[in-house]
Amino acid sequence: MKILTTVKKVVDVELNIHVKDGAIVEDGLQYVINAWDENAVETTVQLKEQTGAETTLVSIGGGDNTDIIRRCYAMGIERGIHIEDPALDKADSFIYARVLQKVFEQGDYDLVITGKQAQDTDNGQTGIILAEYLGLPCVSNVIGVEVIDDKHLKVSRAGDAGTEIVEVELPAVITVDVSINEPRLPQMRGLMMAKKKKIEVMDLAALGTSAEEIGCAAPKSEVIEFMESEKRSGGRKFEGDPAEVTAQVVELLASEAKVI
Amino acid sequence: MAKVLVVAEIKQGVLKSSTAELLSKAKAIGAEAAVVAIGSNIEGLVPELVKAGSDTQYIADDAGLELFSAGPYAACVVDAARQFGADLILFGFSESSKAAAPRVAAQLDAACASEITEVAADNGAFQVVRPAITNKVVQKVKVNTDKLVAVVRAGAFEADESIGGTENVVKLDIPAPDLKAVIKELVSDASGEIDLADADVVVSVGRGARNEEGIALVKELADDLNAGFGSSRAMVDAGFMPHNKQVGQTGKIVAPSLYIAVGISGAIQHLAGMSGSKVVLAINKDPEAPIFNIADYGIVGDLFEVVPILKEELKKVRS
Ligand SMILES: Cc1cc2nc3c(=O)[nH]c(=O)nc-3n(C[C@H](O)[C@H](O)[C@H](O)COP(=O)(O)OP(=O)(O)OC[C@H]3O[C@@H](n4cnc5c(N)ncnc54)[C@H](O)[C@@H]3O)c2cc1C
Repeated sequence: MKILTTVKKVVDVELNIHVKDGAIVEDGLQYVINAWDENAVETTVQLKEQTGAETTLVSIGGGDNTDIIRRCYAMGIERGIHIEDPALDKADSFIYARVLQKVFEQGDYDLVITGKQAQDTDNGQTGIILAEYLGLPCVSNVIGVEVIDDKHLKVSRAGDAGTEIVEVELPAVITVDVSINEPRLPQMRGLMMAKKKKIEVMDLAALGTSAEEIGCAAPKSEVIEFMESEKRSGGRKFEGDPAEVTAQVVELLASEAKVI
Repeated sequence: MAKVLVVAEIKQGVLKSSTAELLSKAKAIGAEAAVVAIGSNIEGLVPELVKAGSDTQYIADDAGLELFSAGPYAACVVDAARQFGADLILFGFSESSKAAAPRVAAQLDAACASEITEVAADNGAFQVVRPAITNKVVQKVKVNTDKLVAVVRAGAFEADESIGGTENVVKLDIPAPDLKAVIKELVSDASGEIDLADADVVVSVGRGARNEEGIALVKELADDLNAGFGSSRAMVDAGFMPHNKQVGQTGKIVAPSLYIAVGISGAIQHLAGMSGSKVVLAINKDPEAPIFNIADYGIVGDLFEVVPILKEELKKVRS
């Protein structure tokens, strides 16, 4: 089995993010591997351990992605491709999907694993659109994967009515949720080894395509302004005798907030 | 005039409130509004779909559509969108929508926007507003295509009771099942319980409740209040709570009148799913827990002590 896994470098959401004049203030931001993609990498490495699958990751954009790709190598990924091209600066999900389509078509892959969304945009579209472009089956929001044979997977999907058990024929695209696994921490030795491994950096031309073919000049949508989100402020905190404070709060819920 | 197609949200044969909310929005922006309803045994919903504000009802009703499958579901929406000539296709907020919307957009060569809280048509060009980066910022997004597919964040729009529609039913051809992604089984974990998205009060349990016993205690509180019973991710990952009860960025988005967070620390990913609640009550034994920064009322205390008292006090005021 040959697996292609997508990894995006994104802003660290645990740090404060400020907006000024309609744009995000770059100062003080840090960049990390997208949380869901880390789960995608873990899923990939587990499948490699079970079946001997060949593993390749692809990362689009982000500037210097050496750190996050090395981290994935240390987790067990064998090959890393980084697509970097100024034409991709305004890429939307559809453009990312077109680039991934090119990568897929050159590699004879059986399975694409993506995180179900990226924490910078929270769009959750790219993997699903890629499957449409490739004409492949797709299961999104996956929380479990089992290999049936080299042509079929059994995946669990967290759906609205409960957990759906889906048998999917390969080649296919799956997008995984954070609940699927606990990503392993890369070990020192792995990180050292990773430094020696090559990262294949290419632009669109090296990928055998062009900005025109991908449609880079015409994103279907673009962010024109960022704004601060409305912050909830804290109200009153009650400490002391549980019986007393609880009675007090219930009284306020009834008389002040009028919600009970 | 813009043409808006709303994808009806139907769960266990019941039409969800998002359908009327989205149709109301469609009419508010001066559009002609149609609805597409997909499922099994749903023709009885037509009068409700009309009342919700639709002027055309595209119906795909077939036993094979009982279980959600993104391929056929998207095919029905695309078929209806083409017949209607829709410029804007609105989905309610659900896992099914999140799976189907990008497919529909790709097939119609339309733009796709997730989790929008506002949409406006400006000289025929759509603009949307949506949260991003785990709700830390809000984006204004300009749409460059003439068609847009959007998933609307739960609770973004209000239903206008005064609008109505006209009955004009169009039956859709039933698409072939997806033979390459076959649902073998549905492990249902919530039927019969109060739907989180609809509940006026939501009580959620976090790691502070520790185990089944703790969960049972908090569940009693939810039952007393006739509330939806939700969870933080910690309790889902620990296997104590089903996945579709998770509130937050990767789970349900709720905006009830009252949200009670019990033993939940208040991680940003959890807040992303509940910060639209009208009133928040938090119970946590750590006075520094971040949940208190956003809670209107906070009780600092051991939930095992506080919840039983809370139940009694609530009984008193409610009787
Ligand atoms: C990509 C990503 C997506 C995520 N999506 C979600 C999501 O959708 N929803 C979500 O909830 N989380 C999500 N998380 C996880 C999130 O970051 C937190 O880990 C999680 O919300 C913590 O759950 P918790 O508050 O129950 O547990 P903890 O953070 O462990 O908090 C437990 C709290 O209980 C309190 N407590 C302990 N004992 C008692 C007691 N006896 N009485 C009262 N209080 C007590 C403690 O003081 C503490 O504040 C996501 C994380 C990532 C990385």
